[in-house]
Amino acid sequence: MSTAHDAHHDDHGHGHHGSRFIQHHYDDAQHQFDAGKLGIWIFLAQEVLFFSALFVAYILYRVHHGELYSYAHKYLDVKYGAINTAILIFSSLTAAWAVRCAQRNERAGLILCLATTIACAFGFLGIKYIEYSHKYHEQLLFGRYFDPCVSPGGNEFITKSNDCPGSKGSVHWDFGAGKATEGCYESSTIDQDPQTEGVQADCQVFETKVRIARGADGKETVTETSRKPIAERCHEWSLEEAEAEAEGGKQEAPEKFPCWKPSYQPAVCPDLTDATARAKGTAARPQVGILVEYGDHEERGEDIVIKAECKPAPKVTKELDILGTPEHPMQLGKPTIVKSHELTTHERHELEAMGPPPDHTNMFFTIYFAMTGLHGIHVFAGILVFMWLLIRALKGHFTPDYFGPIDYAALYWHIVDLIWIFLFPLLYLIH
Amino acid sequence: MASAAEHHDDHDHGLAHVASIKTLVATGGTLLFLTLVTVLATKIDFGANINLAIAMVIAVTKATLVILFFMHLRYDRLFHSVVFVSALLGAALFVGFTLMDTGQYQQTNIWNPSAPPVAPIGPRPTTGG
Repeated sequence: MSTAHDAHHDDHGHGHHGSRFIQHHYDDAQHQFDAGKLGIWIFLAQEVLFFSALFVAYILYRVHHGELYSYAHKYLDVKYGAINTAILIFSSLTAAWAVRCAQRNERAGLILCLATTIACAFGFLGIKYIEYSHKYHEQLLFGRYFDPCVSPGGNEFITKSNDCPGSKGSVHWDFGAGKATEGCYESSTIDQDPQTEGVQADCQVFETKVRIARGADGKETVTETSRKPIAERCHEWSLEEAEAEAEGGKQEAPEKFPCWKPSYQPAVCPDLTDATARAKGTAARPQVGILVEYGDHEERGEDIVIKAECKPAPKVTKELDILGTPEHPMQLGKPTIVKSHELTTHERHELEAMGPPPDHTNMFFTIYFAMTGLHGIHVFAGILVFMWLLIRALKGHFTPDYFGPIDYAALYWHIVDLIWIFLFPLLYLIH
Repeated sequence: MASAAEHHDDHDHGLAHVASIKTLVATGGTLLFLTLVTVLATKIDFGANINLAIAMVIAVTKATLVILFFMHLRYDRLFHSVVFVSALLGAALFVGFTLMDTGQYQQTNIWNPSAPPVAPIGPRPTTGG
């Protein structure tokens, strides 16, 4: 076997006398190279199996609970994912090019390619850091640490820990009476403030005391015993004000509690695809509620029910009507809505994105952090390996008969790229 | 065999195949192009399953390009392909076995879109969004 090799090489005038890094227990440079290469391929096979465990977790959970993925992926920024994909692909190119340079004894090119690969790897981790720190600040974390203040669509809601800027004290909210409570609306189509628009702004809100009597048949009868108007309108907190206050900046004049204000319910609107509800004109109405705020040291008594009497909401205009009537199709700038009254998948997801997260959305982020985290560790390990190679390249260790380490590291780097090629669409590009 | 020898002669007589610049740049360019395609394809609604299929077909294509050209598997020993493909088969086995009883569970829709949970809703932000 070894004589065959020697014969082959001698034909072309190559011997195995070159590099001092050829170990004596190998027949020749080819023997050493091939042994290393088989080793790295077996390692890569192990890497595939290693990552496949996480892919199994991903696939299993997605098969059973695809709705979590279609909701939660909107928290991720496709832009960062796409840039990172491009960075990794480019670094894969430079890694492959480094192998070529080493094979052709182009030392300057080899050093340049290795340095570029390292720079790209740092760039990848830098962007990952930006993404991770966003998620940390928005409490988009794994397990029980998942507790975000805003939906992917930008709507605020009260979280478990109730520590979001803007939500103050103990709040109770109740639907206002009147027509405006029917149906619901997609808030992204309405940019105006409910007050300035006059949508259900003209309300009289009462704290009513009720007496619950249980009859002989076990039926509860609720009778109103007294009512006290809540005259105070709450101060509408803008996010800036809330942040400024949280940072201990300017002090607002103390609010009088309890107070009330109109509030939206940015929830998923199941009625929107209901043809009967649309025909009745109830499907696309803004769903407006009354939000009553109590101060930090008071709370609503258990026998208090909030009631509101509002003037009927102004007739919903075409612009507010998400689906429109056949005669007056909605001007959303999306011709698909005009043509068909069925929501497309995309629009349905946009609506869902306005609402609060489904239960167990934390599982998406658990899987997200496990997969991207393990991948990130691999990128970091790649940086260490390529730095070691760069130092050796600067020392001139690599020659056409000894470039194995470059080749093996490049193969490892390609596998890291390969895994990201799947992670990117699976995590960021869910439709 | 003859073609393999010829092929070998086209390049340097080094320890392994040397990828041409043309191959490397074309592979890298195609990969970047496919990345763009897969991002744009998400913006079009073909239905969730078809969109997923498109994304996966593109990802598999990209992976194949990386394996064949960047990782030189096209020019490499057959045995290395055998090692790698066995790993993929192993991974497929993991997924297949785990999903085998998918149909045996009761429908547990954590979040039913037609009956969404009544959520405590805070004030609508007046900025941003």
